[in-house]
Amino acid sequence: MAADNRLPPPYGLLIDRRKPIAFSFENRAFVGFAGDSIASALAANGQWLLSRSFKYHRPRGVLSMAGQDANVLVQVPGEPNALADRRRISEGLCALGQNYRGTLATDWLSLIDRFARFLPVGFYYKAFFRPRGAWEKWAPLLRKVAGLGTLDPNHRSEPHDKEYRFYDIAVVGGGPAGLAAALAAAEAGARVLLVEENPLLGGSLAYSRFDAEGRRGESLRQELIAKVEANANIDVLVEALCNGWFADNWLPVIKGRRLYKVRAAQVLLCVGALEQPAVFRNNDLPGLMLGSAAQRLIRLYGVRPGRKAVVLTGNSQGYGLALDLQEAGAAVPAIVDLRHEPPADEFTEAAKQRGIAVKPGHAVYEARAGGGRLAAVEVRRILGQGQCAEQGESIDCDLLCMAVGYTPTYQLSCQAGGQLSYDDDSAMFRIDGLPESVRVAGSVNGVWDLDAVLADARRAAGAAARALGKSGAAVPDPVADGGRSPNFPWPIFPHPKGKEFVDYDEDLQIADILNAVNDGYEHVQLMKRYSTCGMGPSQGRHSALAAARLTAAATGRTVAQTGVTTARPPFAAEQLAHNAGRSFYPVRRSSMHHRHIEAGAQMMQAGAWLRPAYYGPKGGQEAAVAAEALSVRGNLGMIDVSTLGGIEVRGTDAGEFLNRIYTYGFAKQPVGRGRYALLTNETGLIIDDGVACRLHERHYYVTATTGAVGRVCQAMLRWNAQWRLDVSIADATSAWCGLNLAGPNSRAVLQNLCDDLDLSAQAFPFMGVRESQVAGIPARLLRVGFVGELGYEIHAPQHCGEALWDAVMEAGKSHGIQPFGVEAQRVLRLEKGHIIVGQDTDAMTHPAEVGMGWAVSRKKPFFVGGRTLEELAKTPLKRVLAGFVVPDPEAPRPLEGHLLLDGQRMIGRVTSCSWSPTLQKSIGLAYVPPQAAKPGAELDIKASKGLRVRAEVAATPFYDPQGKRQEM
Amino acid sequence: MSASPQATGASPAAFRRRSQLYRRHLQLGAAFADYQGAVAVAAYSDLGVERAQAERLGLADLSTWPRRGCTGADARQWLADLGRQPPNQPNKAAAREDGGLTACLAEQEFLVLQGLAADAGLPAELQGNWPANAAASVHPLPRADSHCWFALSGAKAPSTLAKLCAVDLSSRSFAPSDVAQTSLARVSAIILRQDLGATPCFHILSDSSAAEYLWDALIDAMQEFAGAPVGLEALRTLLDSAGGP
Repeated sequence: MAADNRLPPPYGLLIDRRKPIAFSFENRAFVGFAGDSIASALAANGQWLLSRSFKYHRPRGVLSMAGQDANVLVQVPGEPNALADRRRISEGLCALGQNYRGTLATDWLSLIDRFARFLPVGFYYKAFFRPRGAWEKWAPLLRKVAGLGTLDPNHRSEPHDKEYRFYDIAVVGGGPAGLAAALAAAEAGARVLLVEENPLLGGSLAYSRFDAEGRRGESLRQELIAKVEANANIDVLVEALCNGWFADNWLPVIKGRRLYKVRAAQVLLCVGALEQPAVFRNNDLPGLMLGSAAQRLIRLYGVRPGRKAVVLTGNSQGYGLALDLQEAGAAVPAIVDLRHEPPADEFTEAAKQRGIAVKPGHAVYEARAGGGRLAAVEVRRILGQGQCAEQGESIDCDLLCMAVGYTPTYQLSCQAGGQLSYDDDSAMFRIDGLPESVRVAGSVNGVWDLDAVLADARRAAGAAARALGKSGAAVPDPVADGGRSPNFPWPIFPHPKGKEFVDYDEDLQIADILNAVNDGYEHVQLMKRYSTCGMGPSQGRHSALAAARLTAAATGRTVAQTGVTTARPPFAAEQLAHNAGRSFYPVRRSSMHHRHIEAGAQMMQAGAWLRPAYYGPKGGQEAAVAAEALSVRGNLGMIDVSTLGGIEVRGTDAGEFLNRIYTYGFAKQPVGRGRYALLTNETGLIIDDGVACRLHERHYYVTATTGAVGRVCQAMLRWNAQWRLDVSIADATSAWCGLNLAGPNSRAVLQNLCDDLDLSAQAFPFMGVRESQVAGIPARLLRVGFVGELGYEIHAPQHCGEALWDAVMEAGKSHGIQPFGVEAQRVLRLEKGHIIVGQDTDAMTHPAEVGMGWAVSRKKPFFVGGRTLEELAKTPLKRVLAGFVVPDPEAPRPLEGHLLLDGQRMIGRVTSCSWSPTLQKSIGLAYVPPQAAKPGAELDIKASKGLRVRAEVAATPFYDPQGKRQEM
Repeated sequence: MSASPQATGASPAAFRRRSQLYRRHLQLGAAFADYQGAVAVAAYSDLGVERAQAERLGLADLSTWPRRGCTGADARQWLADLGRQPPNQPNKAAAREDGGLTACLAEQEFLVLQGLAADAGLPAELQGNWPANAAASVHPLPRADSHCWFALSGAKAPSTLAKLCAVDLSSRSFAPSDVAQTSLARVSAIILRQDLGATPCFHILSDSSAAEYLWDALIDAMQEFAGAPVGLEALRTLLDSAGGP
């Protein structure tokens, strides 16, 4: 192996050295330890090149070691764009680089880097579309080189799940502030969820240096964790990412393959701050990384990040970093301090005592490569904001650590309504204006000194607990933050040759930001969209501050006035599988469902219901439907109508209520009779129909269409909330199964099942309703005629449905009973000219258009829609629903939605059309102009594939127009 | 001690009232029993094993077990007269000595569940069809048919429900006798908590047409915690060990 950068224990908090793990990267074999990320294991083996940049294909390596940047995107099996500094290695893992042609080390597309000057910001918008038609040529080429990684369309995702969680307080971030806040909140009696995105609790305590000796962080971490783990009021989720904030403190927290939907009364955001890179020429070479990244490599993974390290800093933390590097065995030839007069403190003193050279008032002006990674940096004296001396000094090194400042991790706060302001003194963003139920604490709140951080966390936790009504919660006073701002105000140094990267994701240099402004995109939101700054995978986490500073300077505004772009959720990329997760698609089945399956039914969906379309093999629909329909016409059939809506309307005002709701008169409806019930809305449009069965003076059982019963019931409840009638309305759809026994022999069969009911036409006439027993099962029997034959709808308790089916099937066996499905029922009702609301009506249909004027009472003082219908009656109809037949049996059958034409002018449309096995021709219903609705008039239908079909208007019902058969 | 089933080895197909899930139970080797005319799964396996399953995470189908709803201005008094005094507060249930529950779903809407250890069906007044009391404004609701009825028991029951329901049903928020009328796996459900001794138990009533869908959704969500179907007898033993009802 090329190099062994592994450090001895106690370095490597996350790795288990007893468990070596073999994996490959770019088809080269490597060995790491359990707990290693791909990036840390590769770094331990001297492999620093991880990826190629998006636009110029520049070599890139570790930047943050925190899963926050796009430099570490790699391909793993079935998944592109995995974060190499977060994804753990596993035995046999085959990881690959992305976005290159040739090899990762020798990417021939890196030639683009040489032509960067010809690819300025916005060039994409200005090129490729001229001359006309050029885009079609360019598009395939660009699409080949665009995008990162490769999707595997055959990849099968593991099941993902969701879970709801509820807490008094959710603490996001398990660093020192988060741990202290969770403890304080729990000790005040709150139920607390602590969410930490890394495998270890402790945040910076686990890797950063808080004292010159480097001991305090780990000892405090152990102490806080022990207390948190001992507190029963705290639930901890590690390796869990809170990926957004939504209204009412709804937090999506992703852990492994689960999305937790967390609701918390109070949210404490202790999410820390994101270290920022400096901007200078070649600041993207492998070997350059954030100071915290080097510390994470050392402490968490036991990896020495370089052998000769220069530290570029603007704060004292950089000196602590230099101490860490030196202790880890790296030579530190220089600390390059951007500040002209670094203040003396324990860190600067310790560095001095260790003999580390310090270059105050200097900057790294340029990084130089050698052997594929950083080889040297040129250090120059700073003359002014962003200006360096003409000459400098070259220092050989293989590692440059950048410790020049932070931005608060403001994304969740801003989603919660927080506003960012910029403090020129501290050169740092600050968050204000959060809602009462969201608080920030720690470095995200601009507090840096460790004791002040802990105090700030206790303050926020106490305030949150108080807001929950825990009046005993302590709210300590803020502790003065003795720590100075770690931000250097202008760590940006332009170079005449460019390549000073502001946004690594999109390969945007200083000139790109300035050119965007010069092109007129002065507002930071417009600059973002024009330049794509902040639109890459890391969403501006390392570019927003520098871009805001550059835009502010270029437009003569302050950084506060310039602001940053909107930080919308999600915070980080999330898998679609997390959103898909455990999905629910309710399916409703009648209690007779399995009998249909056993009888060979082909099931179809009707809303959420499964219904038998027809009985017979797939592909045999036409013959099966014809046979089923003819059986009903000539003998006997039965259909499961359990999906039919059923509403119980009960109370002393039940009759009056129905009178007001439906169009027809119901107050004088005799007990034991059913009546067609048409429902219109306030504008007189048909919204449902059914049969109202009067079972008692104060009890109606009203049927409604399958899909509309919920809406009808809601409308009834809404109206009665105004009317205040003494009536109870209950949706009983699922309480009753239903079976329609239809055909000339239905009475004979049913008679064998009813011991105490006279089924004769005189005793139980058409539209009669009876309560009795069928095969010992309590039932409501309705003589209705949807299919136009003698028939009985038998409604029985749902859980008796299968027994009822069995009994009727057995009784009808000797008559050759044939179950029929929805398709046959549609044919039979069409032969009778019965409409289906929703199919033969649309959102503009009123009763007169469909010949339902007879179902509208003109004697009632009021019903819903009545006033509108009165007005509509004064105007001529613009269309009517007419029956039609297709005389030529060989002609293609029109389908629902096909247009009726007069020449090239559309005059109507088909709503229903079927082959009638009884009449041996195609029949249908269509909207036509009233003048074209006379029987015998010719219709010109534009059928499938543009074929014209000649049809003739015909009177409805097509079958048994006198209705004698249903009234037998 | 709970009453023994009147007859074991019953076949659900021999009864007029059948759970829509009986085929699934048969596939799992369920032994059915006749409980005063209601055929239900007594057990799927050894009772001791099943009891442990119910303590951890079990799902029982009680769809054929007696229950009734009613609504109307006089419904509260009517129930009180029948010895089923409902709680005054909506979304609360009151337990009777026999383990039966009377839940208040709304100001004028109530739900009566027969106790699991009861040795008889609901009284005729509760079972009867409309008009239950013609002189009063009381309108029975056919909850025995409009709803299926499952009991989800065990220490992991709250965690299972947390995967399906957006209401906090954890023990600290949803105590015994609490009722939630909510959506479970995207179907409407009435959820009542009635612990069996120390074992958490949730009665779930949902649209009977969604019985198979919801059963499958629950079983799927239970897999993570090694949950499995249990029979009525396992639940009854948990009641017995608790010394009640």
